[in-house]
Amino acid sequence: MSKSSKAWLQIAGAACFEVAWVIGLKHASAPWEWGITVLAILISFYVLISASRTLPAGTVYAVFVGLGTTGTVLADMLWFGEPFRMLKVVLIILLLAGVIGLKLTTSDGPKEQIKEVS
Amino acid sequence: MDWLMLIGAGLSEMIGVGMMAKLQTHRSWRTVSLLIFGFGASFVLLSLAMRTLPMGTAYAIWTGIGASGGAVLGMLFYGESREMRRILCIVMILGAAIGLKLIA
Repeated sequence: MSKSSKAWLQIAGAACFEVAWVIGLKHASAPWEWGITVLAILISFYVLISASRTLPAGTVYAVFVGLGTTGTVLADMLWFGEPFRMLKVVLIILLLAGVIGLKLTTSDGPKEQIKEVS
Repeated sequence: MDWLMLIGAGLSEMIGVGMMAKLQTHRSWRTVSLLIFGFGASFVLLSLAMRTLPMGTAYAIWTGIGASGGAVLGMLFYGESREMRRILCIVMILGAAIGLKLIA
């Protein structure tokens, strides 16, 4: 597997852990549940940072945030009985578009230039 | 109160992310402890805010504050580009967050 497709798999995995810790922050009550939540936070950040060593950081964060938001909104509605409201979904998509736009237009600084040369 | 905690969570996330960037150029105990404090406070506040707010909404706004706040700081202090489409993105995030607050 190429280095970059491995990094994309890492991002998908990090996003799953992201959704897991968000669920944990809201619903954990027992100590072991909090333990898993903290572990998921550490794993998602670690994987995210290691993926952004191979791929441009702006792109990595944009995809990561997109997957995380979609996952949490879906989990809310599918498993936790949050009602589906069109206006709310539209606003979240608008917010997401803003975040992704920002991440993609943020330059990664000298690090990225080095990568383009090499 | 839940919205105030959510805003606090977004702001302390900015501290954490800022310290993470600083750590790449110079390492000091002060930076490391601010990083741990920033992320720690951020997750505690997010968790408290989510007691009453829906998970998806809270997460989206938390991310939005982190991203737009980071971009504003970058523009103000680190000479990042202030092109129109970046400012438009920030306005979109803020507008959506206010809209979500109004319909909550």
